[in-house]
Amino acid sequence: MRVYRDDQKFLTFRINALLWGIVAVFIFLAGAFWFVQSVQAEKWRNLSEANALREVITPAKRGLILDRTGQKILADNQPAYTLTVDRVVMKPLVKGDPTHRVKLVNFLAQVLGIPPAEVEARFEKQGKLVLFTRPMPVAEDLTMPQVASVQAQAVAFPELNVEPVQRRSYPYGTMAAHMLGFIGEVNEKDLVVHKELRQGDLIGKRGVEMMYDEYLRGADGAQYWEYDSHGRRLAEYRPARKEPVAGDNVWLTIDFDLQRRAEQYFIENEFVGSAVALDPRNGEVLAMVSSPAFNPNVYSKRFTPDVWKTIASNPFKVELNRAIQGLYSPGSVFKAVMAMAGLSDGAIDPSTTFTCGGSAVFFGRRFRCYKREGHGTLAVSNALKVSCDIFFYNTGARLGVDKIAEYAHQLTFGEISKIDLDGEKAGLVPSTRWANEKQHRKWYPSETISVAIGQGPLIVTPLQVANMMASIANGGTVYRPHVVKMIEKVEPNGRVQRLQVASEVLHRIPNLSTPALKVVKAGLWKVVNEEGGTGGNARVTGLNIAGKTGTVQVVAQHGWIKAEGMAFRERDHAWFASYAPGAPDDTPQMVVVVFVEHGGHGGTDAAPLARLLYESRFRAQMQNARLDLNNPDTLRAIKEGDAPIPGQQPKAPPIAPGAGH
Amino acid sequence: MLPARPRTLSTLDLNFLGTALVLAAIGCMLIYSATYFSDPGLTTLRKQVTWMVIGFALLLIFVMVDYHLFFDIAPILYGIGLALLAYLVIFGRLTANMRGWIHLGGFQFQPSEFTKIFTSLMLAKYFDSNDRAYLDLRSFLRVMAIIGAPVLLILAQPDFGTAASFFPLVAVAMFFGGIRWRVWVVAILVGTLVAGLSWGVLKTYQKERILTYLDSNRDPLGKGYQVTQAKIAIGSGGIHGKGFRNGTQGKLGFIPARHTDFIFAVLGEEWGFIGVLIVLGLYLFLIVQALGFAKHARDRGGTFLVISLVSFFIFHVFINVSMQIGVLPTTGIPLPLLSYGGSSTMMFLIAIGLILNVDMRRFVNE
Repeated sequence: MRVYRDDQKFLTFRINALLWGIVAVFIFLAGAFWFVQSVQAEKWRNLSEANALREVITPAKRGLILDRTGQKILADNQPAYTLTVDRVVMKPLVKGDPTHRVKLVNFLAQVLGIPPAEVEARFEKQGKLVLFTRPMPVAEDLTMPQVASVQAQAVAFPELNVEPVQRRSYPYGTMAAHMLGFIGEVNEKDLVVHKELRQGDLIGKRGVEMMYDEYLRGADGAQYWEYDSHGRRLAEYRPARKEPVAGDNVWLTIDFDLQRRAEQYFIENEFVGSAVALDPRNGEVLAMVSSPAFNPNVYSKRFTPDVWKTIASNPFKVELNRAIQGLYSPGSVFKAVMAMAGLSDGAIDPSTTFTCGGSAVFFGRRFRCYKREGHGTLAVSNALKVSCDIFFYNTGARLGVDKIAEYAHQLTFGEISKIDLDGEKAGLVPSTRWANEKQHRKWYPSETISVAIGQGPLIVTPLQVANMMASIANGGTVYRPHVVKMIEKVEPNGRVQRLQVASEVLHRIPNLSTPALKVVKAGLWKVVNEEGGTGGNARVTGLNIAGKTGTVQVVAQHGWIKAEGMAFRERDHAWFASYAPGAPDDTPQMVVVVFVEHGGHGGTDAAPLARLLYESRFRAQMQNARLDLNNPDTLRAIKEGDAPIPGQQPKAPPIAPGAGH
Repeated sequence: MLPARPRTLSTLDLNFLGTALVLAAIGCMLIYSATYFSDPGLTTLRKQVTWMVIGFALLLIFVMVDYHLFFDIAPILYGIGLALLAYLVIFGRLTANMRGWIHLGGFQFQPSEFTKIFTSLMLAKYFDSNDRAYLDLRSFLRVMAIIGAPVLLILAQPDFGTAASFFPLVAVAMFFGGIRWRVWVVAILVGTLVAGLSWGVLKTYQKERILTYLDSNRDPLGKGYQVTQAKIAIGSGGIHGKGFRNGTQGKLGFIPARHTDFIFAVLGEEWGFIGVLIVLGLYLFLIVQALGFAKHARDRGGTFLVISLVSFFIFHVFINVSMQIGVLPTTGIPLPLLSYGGSSTMMFLIAIGLILNVDMRRFVNE
């Protein structure tokens, strides 16, 4: 045990020395803080109020949305001017001159051409939204004369800034509006999800703008400016500058020409409804129409609540993307599913026949065929061709509702397709379990008969019908439909990185027999291509189209009535679901589904659009097929420009600008 | 003779412990004030409180076990510390351009902070057995090796800021270990010469890099912006301050690293010069008490342990407080017990425990 230490004195002395040294340092520090907090306090307080160094956000350029070729810009950015009020600068001015605020409001009202009350309302709304230290926008899209008048008064109103911004614009107006969606100011919910965003930032609200927002948005940059206590911008603090990073471009799978034609068809005929074109080989959406459409340019503005209300109150629900959110009875289109189910399950075989006499009794109730005089005796492929109800009543009675539901689910009915768009609806496929659990009632066998021809509680979206057709066309594979083909990242050094969206197989339909598929496909081919088929209006010479028409009763009808002469709201819905090339041995390349609300009849109102789209898509192929290259006359005609060059796509006809707005 | 444990517990210095806990509580208030606006879920504050609870448990352990036992196992602890640092240099994951963090599940810690404790123990153990009034060259080099090993490993991470915070140990060894005047002069001359020469040899970008390393806040806005904003906050606080939760500079995010390295600026803004004086007074009280413990420690090892540990407090407080108003350049040195940060909070609480430990066992005839 060491008790006495001869170096005790040495250590004590040095510890004391350190102690006094520390006391001196602390006194020095206290003095330094006294200097800053007392002597200089006024200066720092002023700087604090004016925030000597202030952040000025340089917004990132939002990524473009392009068609599948990258040639057409569907969502663009346009230079515009936004007027902001800097409250940090305004505060001392109002203190110095109490009338300043009134002068400012009157000046703005005069320049913007709005009542002073409206200016006040904007001040109040934006004042709550935007942080005090950041300039708040009070007007967008200033005209050049407005910019000039504001700048002329820069001395009187230093708190006003005209800021050049990039405004989102959709050059084709309503075109593909439901898919593109629109952008808007972030709300409280967005801020919870996206921590990096601030009040007043813009974010995708619907469609691709929303679903791919993280790619499109980019990252805002910032500049740091020194201000004096009067709020005048002095100089930029360059070392702190952060350059904005532009958002990625998104290439859609949309074929511009198909989309345009399909939309024009609805506009010209004043139809309400939807059309979907899919590539059955990979699930790419080639066109998706929902009519009527809205103009996303209107939504992307800050100060136009009235226009927005007009849109929201439109009786045709323009915001609804009917292709994925509209729920309708599939009608006779569902007979394709019934034929698949019956053949695969063994309830019928290709040679099974039923006799149609215009009506028949099932489970004690009489059910009618749409054709009063009956179709006679027919097998499944002819039953599809003429869309005989009696045949499929019988098939449905043999299968029972639960078998029908099983096959319908395999063909993606009653489930979301997982498309990369928001708000998709799943629809409903009834079954005994559904009746028991959801409806708390018994399922009546007679209801199965209605389901067999696509009526009853069964409801589907046009996209689901397209998906079903695609799975039949490609031999039983269910792809995940998608509208985005590629993400294009342009790095600051100019290097372009391209991220392809892979096609995704959701599932392959189990126990699907190849002979059954062949019979169904043959039936669908007959619908369009044989005399007496219900889809003759879709026939195109030189191209084999296969499909199925459908007509859905909206109002319960007693007896046989013609659609014409009925009130619009009571008219039937029209379906046409198809694919091509559709001869039994072909590899189909496109599926087209057309749905017209209250259109009347599938064969007359929906099928012609399908024909238009196929003609547009396969024009080159059809022409090449007609060219006999062994014939010297044909070769001469090609040389002289009278015939198209084989393999080369002829130019699409020019489209009138502004059409479709 | 009375049993040992009750007697030592009765001599636990509650003034010293109380001072430390009051500082920790002020730290929590400031962290709340600095983050409640940007982090309404208060996750930052919750984390800090968790670390303080764990740190307090560690503190109790380091009080209860006789510090001589820690001297006995000092080489093992020191070895573990070095091994962890070496592991980091080789396998560490890059976090903010450094390999300074060990990730254990969702938890991460900086072994370099704990190595400060272990190195202090090792140093004190060495001086416990070496009671010559002056260090000869051989023992001087040995002491420098003890301090140098972790410093070199931390430099390799590379974390210049933390490596520099081992400097107080060198000063303690030289000032209290005892070095002759001639050695002082030679050491200072050689040090200046080497530093000057290497600075001349370095290329601009390397200098730039070293300056960036020294500024381990790694603030993209640069030092000037940071200090200016801190000074605006402190100066605008005036004598009385803007009041709890009323600071605008801190709350609105004008001060970068406001809950870590610049927590003192939040204090200056919200509590004014009065708050600054109170906190500086608490630190001074803590240091003066600890140096008192060092004077009447039972043995030379105890004295050196307390001085080594208190030197970290002095160094961190001085550097951190000075940089708030630009007296010294910005470095990533946290404020003891006030700044947000798990490893540093625990390290300082353990240090408090060890200092109390030495004080409690000061009586020879135990």
